[in-house]
Amino acid sequence: MLPFFAELVSATDEDRRAFENHPVVVAAVGDGMSAERYRKLLLELYHVVWHFNPVCAAASSRLGDEFTAVRMFLYEHMQEEAGHESWVMNDLEAVGVTPQATREHAPSAHTLALNGYNYWAADRRHPCSVLGMLYTLEVIASVYGGPFASAIRESLLLEGDRGVSFIDSHASLDAQHMAELRQILNQVHGDAARAAVLESVRLNFHHFTRIIEAV
Amino acid sequence: MNPLTGVAGLLGRPYKSIRLEWSSDLRLLRVRTAVKPIQCYSLALMSELQRVLSDVTDNPGLVRHFVLTSDVPKVFNFGGDLALFVLLVRARDIDSLRLYGQRCVDLVWWMENAANLGVHTTVLSQGDTLGGGLESVLPFHKIIFERSAQAGFPEVLFNLFPGMGAWEFTLRRAGFAVANEMILSGRLYGAEELHYRRVIDVVVDDGQGELAIEQVVRDVEPRHRGVMAALRAQRLAAPVRYETLMAIVDQWAEAALTLTDRDLRLMERLARAQARKAGGADEGAVEEIKRMELENAWGERRTGFDRRDRVLDDRRTRT
Repeated sequence: MLPFFAELVSATDEDRRAFENHPVVVAAVGDGMSAERYRKLLLELYHVVWHFNPVCAAASSRLGDEFTAVRMFLYEHMQEEAGHESWVMNDLEAVGVTPQATREHAPSAHTLALNGYNYWAADRRHPCSVLGMLYTLEVIASVYGGPFASAIRESLLLEGDRGVSFIDSHASLDAQHMAELRQILNQVHGDAARAAVLESVRLNFHHFTRIIEAV
Repeated sequence: MNPLTGVAGLLGRPYKSIRLEWSSDLRLLRVRTAVKPIQCYSLALMSELQRVLSDVTDNPGLVRHFVLTSDVPKVFNFGGDLALFVLLVRARDIDSLRLYGQRCVDLVWWMENAANLGVHTTVLSQGDTLGGGLESVLPFHKIIFERSAQAGFPEVLFNLFPGMGAWEFTLRRAGFAVANEMILSGRLYGAEELHYRRVIDVVVDDGQGELAIEQVVRDVEPRHRGVMAALRAQRLAAPVRYETLMAIVDQWAEAALTLTDRDLRLMERLARAQARKAGGADEGAVEEIKRMELENAWGERRTGFDRRDRVLDDRRTRT
């Protein structure tokens, strides 16, 4: 029998490719985007990143002892991700958006849908669904983040990590996270938990694609 | 078996990445591939191809000719799904890498055994045929390239090798020296160069590929039974073993896990170039590979200078 991670990769490959295939994503990874659209994307990303740890916390508080390993994994992960929304804020500042404007930005309906789904799924579907959010965001960061950061750097003539520090650093950081995530996903047992992870991956790819599409 | 039922079953399935055409007079099944946005061997394409091939197997005698072409202008196939590879390598997921390799091998293995099912196979490339794309054409009975098509195994440029049949099928078609040269250099070859090396069978002018397919099929059709018998014997005379193909997949998966961040960045560069071309740019993966070849060549030259410097230093030390 295939380990769950391999099953997940295969079962959600179409969802990953639907994200990858979207014309806006193809253009962004190939050629970057205008400064205005990049600012809009980072503003949405700020709210996704801000809610990342609270969603993990909500899920971990609801995990029973049969999922202790997942809870411990989430604790460690939250520690590593703590404060990363300020990295996005710094990048926004580098492309001309003040921290105050970032804090005051009202997230789009798509961002609210993404965050709303993740809280709801952790609360009502199954707390393991949070692993679907992690998988999606880490696939996006570690597979597409590097080329996207290069494209943005070239198209906006940014120097070094200025303006792309969050995306670029997560492209490398999440490489290690992906390996750890594979190990923990392979420890998720039970049909309900696995089905929740699968659904969460599909929904997260869907909503994230809509966020990028709208900017 | 009622052939009509068989044909209806064969053509009746819904597919996303392929399009099927049937010529009843020749019992010819044509498969046209189009994977969006990047024409590569995605998991979905492989599942759909495997479904078609299983249907052909389940209807013995129904299909006499199998033709594979691409619906994407100037691209036959870019090979493996690079984004998926990056994901699996970063996740250190050897199980999925092996599974991907096995799916590829199952496709080439069907082609290798097509004569046993009485099916003559023909493939036409009208554009870029890279890595796994080239591996996938090598077991066909007849390989046709239009003159401007280019092919090669670029994997070595990012410290990998083509692991789904490149060695066995290139060795059998063109010999050890050519297999070595093609796989270890990572360079791209024009259709004429491939024909000269006996890697492919026919080169035609651009736009003449369709006529060439028809010519091949019309040539084989009257002698179909004899040709099939001869090709079965050919496979016995120069066999390729499934176990060897899979053993190489295992080595490939293990090698993939040794890729460094720099290697993955090169892979991502290629994926980005493919995305640019899919987005309408003139330049794509082929031009990126050429740039990588050039960078490698400059690297070697620099290393050469370094070596000479070291030799001079050694001499100085000895004297």
